[in-house]
Amino acid sequence: MTNASEVLSSIQSAFPGAVLDSRVESDRRLWATIDSKKILDVCKHLTTKLNFDHYSGSAGVDWIARKEMEVVEIMASHGAHQVVAMLKVKTPRENPSVKSLTGLYWNANWYEREIWEMFGINFEGHPELYPLLLSDELMGAWPWRKDYKGYPDLTTGERAVKISTPEGYTEYHIPPTPAEVEAGTVVTVRLKYPTLREREEKEIKSDSEMIMHLGPQHAMVPGPFLLDVLVEGERVHKAFLDLGYIHKGIEKIMENRSWLQGITYTDRMCYVASLSNNECYCGAIEKILGLEVPLRAQYIRVILEELSRIQSHLIGTGEFLTLIAGVGYAPWQYMIIDRENIISLIESVTGARLTHTFVRFGGVRNDLPAGFADQCKKVLPYMKSRTEEFIELFAQDPIYHKRMDGVGIIRPDDAKRMGVSGPPLRAAGVAYDMRKEDPILVYPELDFKVVTGTKGDSADRIDVRLREMLESIHIIEQCLDRIPEGPIKTEVKVPKKVPAGEAYYRVEDPRGEMGMYVISDGGDKPYRVKVRGPFYATFQTLTPLLEGTYIADAVAIAGSMDGCPSEADR
Amino acid sequence: MLKRKMIKNFGWPLKTAMRETEVTRLYPEVMMELPENERGIHELDATTCIGCASCARVCPNSCIEMVHFKFGNPLKNKKMQFPQIDFGRCMFCGLCVDECPVECLKMGKKVVMAGWERKDIVKSPDFLSTKRFTAKEVADLEAEAKRVAAEKAAAAAAKKAAAAKEGPAKEGAAKKPAKEGAAAANGPAKKAAAAAKPKEGGAA
Ligand code: SF4
Ligand code: SF4
Repeated sequence: MTNASEVLSSIQSAFPGAVLDSRVESDRRLWATIDSKKILDVCKHLTTKLNFDHYSGSAGVDWIARKEMEVVEIMASHGAHQVVAMLKVKTPRENPSVKSLTGLYWNANWYEREIWEMFGINFEGHPELYPLLLSDELMGAWPWRKDYKGYPDLTTGERAVKISTPEGYTEYHIPPTPAEVEAGTVVTVRLKYPTLREREEKEIKSDSEMIMHLGPQHAMVPGPFLLDVLVEGERVHKAFLDLGYIHKGIEKIMENRSWLQGITYTDRMCYVASLSNNECYCGAIEKILGLEVPLRAQYIRVILEELSRIQSHLIGTGEFLTLIAGVGYAPWQYMIIDRENIISLIESVTGARLTHTFVRFGGVRNDLPAGFADQCKKVLPYMKSRTEEFIELFAQDPIYHKRMDGVGIIRPDDAKRMGVSGPPLRAAGVAYDMRKEDPILVYPELDFKVVTGTKGDSADRIDVRLREMLESIHIIEQCLDRIPEGPIKTEVKVPKKVPAGEAYYRVEDPRGEMGMYVISDGGDKPYRVKVRGPFYATFQTLTPLLEGTYIADAVAIAGSMDGCPSEADR
Repeated sequence: MLKRKMIKNFGWPLKTAMRETEVTRLYPEVMMELPENERGIHELDATTCIGCASCARVCPNSCIEMVHFKFGNPLKNKKMQFPQIDFGRCMFCGLCVDECPVECLKMGKKVVMAGWERKDIVKSPDFLSTKRFTAKEVADLEAEAKRVAAEKAAAAAAKKAAAAKEGPAKEGAAKKPAKEGAAAANGPAKKAAAAAKPKEGGAA
């Protein structure tokens, strides 16, 4: 199997002089600074020759002291090997510009758009550099640059000025205060780009077509986002996504909070997956610090993360059923009742129902309470029988299958190309699971299968989730048998300041591949935290998936993705 | 075939409905059972808090403010500063509890704190403290604290004087009363701590 140093030497021999700097962190992590002129060739080489077929995202970093910006491309493989290559491209801070990878990787689109709107790094050759998360008012402020002076205070509605548009709408505008203009927190020169509405209207070809809004408040994905579909009759010709309605700037907030305080923010990216987000953040910092997690703490983390996966899948599946309510029976409430058992189990350990703030650097906050194993032994068999019942119910319901079969099919090649992960990818038949690909904690010692589907349609995605719950129960049972006694935190004192360094850590979130790229400059706060969320990647595939479907299916397709715009927007 | 399967599926909710499961929480008539680890409203042991403000520093939402409170231990908490928590901002993350060096801040099972106005849910140490001294005990402790301080000052002055005179014999003599004072101060403090009964800090 390929390892990181082999990948590095392959790049070096194919492109002499292209690698400006490199570090082989371990067999599975390669860090390399690539000459910005050669980045396209290097990526092509990686993809075609070395099986790097998973473009996992990119991150922007503003190195203000060095007067340069960096774009870090995260490249991985769908199971051919386990190397993650972090390729950095540098660009001067004045007029930053790098080559766009959208020509090579379809899913680079959103990642690059985000970097552009946040850092102002131009991507040469990007087809649609339009804002993604930010509102039009903030475009050009480049808020994630280190010299950004803070967001304008838009919290008060009293400053709003009413404007009547020529079309007869009323709009509100909040004029900047002189202090804000001086501080440079408001944009005075507007960038030129077509707005979402203009882009949509450009696509209308005939009188029989119209734009229909699904959202920003729509039940198909919990959380606000706007899905506009261009329809002719019942057919969707094109779909447009607008997100950023709950963009919280968590990555920027975390730069202004101490390392420890950052854990609380990871909870709030996606509250049904807060334990795996905790894990991802803490794991990255443990990597920088070189902390060893005691065995008992590792087991506790695995138990809780798997419990959290069960409850997330229950709510994901249940919500989906409410959307396609034509099923006749609606197990949603039964799933929620069952989920309550799991939540209570987690609560008895962490003390909170959803926002756990439980994982700590080098350990966990609390030990398992007395009687936890007994409680688990009561709940888990029950959950198992219920899940089996659910699977049977779904499998035998003819109406459900008439409704769901063949809806929103993602073929394996497309799934890989589009960078989806988690159940949508596995439903397509690609056995790609971070717990196997990039194993952490005690996962390598545990026995579990990676559940895959065959057809890649909506029904399969639900089926994969339900069967994954059975695997999770199996994992927890093993952990409860094997969990040793011992400390739950490392004995090493965790310093307030983390030594300079960087790490990329991946966990299998209930929704797929969650990765966090954490940089420390030796201070008491992170220099940069980049969150590569699973739903961000899945969300991006929604627009091509919806083309050519019926309006009614749009809901079924989007719902089966088990979405969380909160995590996509961060 | 199709019909039979569907009827089976329709029967399923009926079957499940027969089982007794609590679906609706009967709150506020019946409070649900909360686990021991529950992270609810904070409980402050005012008799041991040393007023270090570690909790206030670690709070991600800056909702802890150090305020004056009468019924603490003036021997350990010289300025009588205790945490006041703004529950309008608190997210019950528990970082403050982890950070407290003397473990006097805990989170309990109490979760009700509704108020009509925003300032109603800014809870003072008076509300938070589950353990505190009575006014009399505080007065005693204050007297102790004053005496200790005075003795310390005297000892320091004596030491200074001794150092000025460079008389090593006198230094030992000056140290003695200070030690005695400390021992005397410890005695009543302990007694008072044992006597202090945990008091419910009710909202009313
Ligand atoms: S629980 Fe968290 S938010 Fe609340 S006071 Fe403590 S540190 Fe602050
Ligand atoms: S509660 Fe604890 S951390 Fe807060 S001031 Fe008192 S002793 Fe310090």
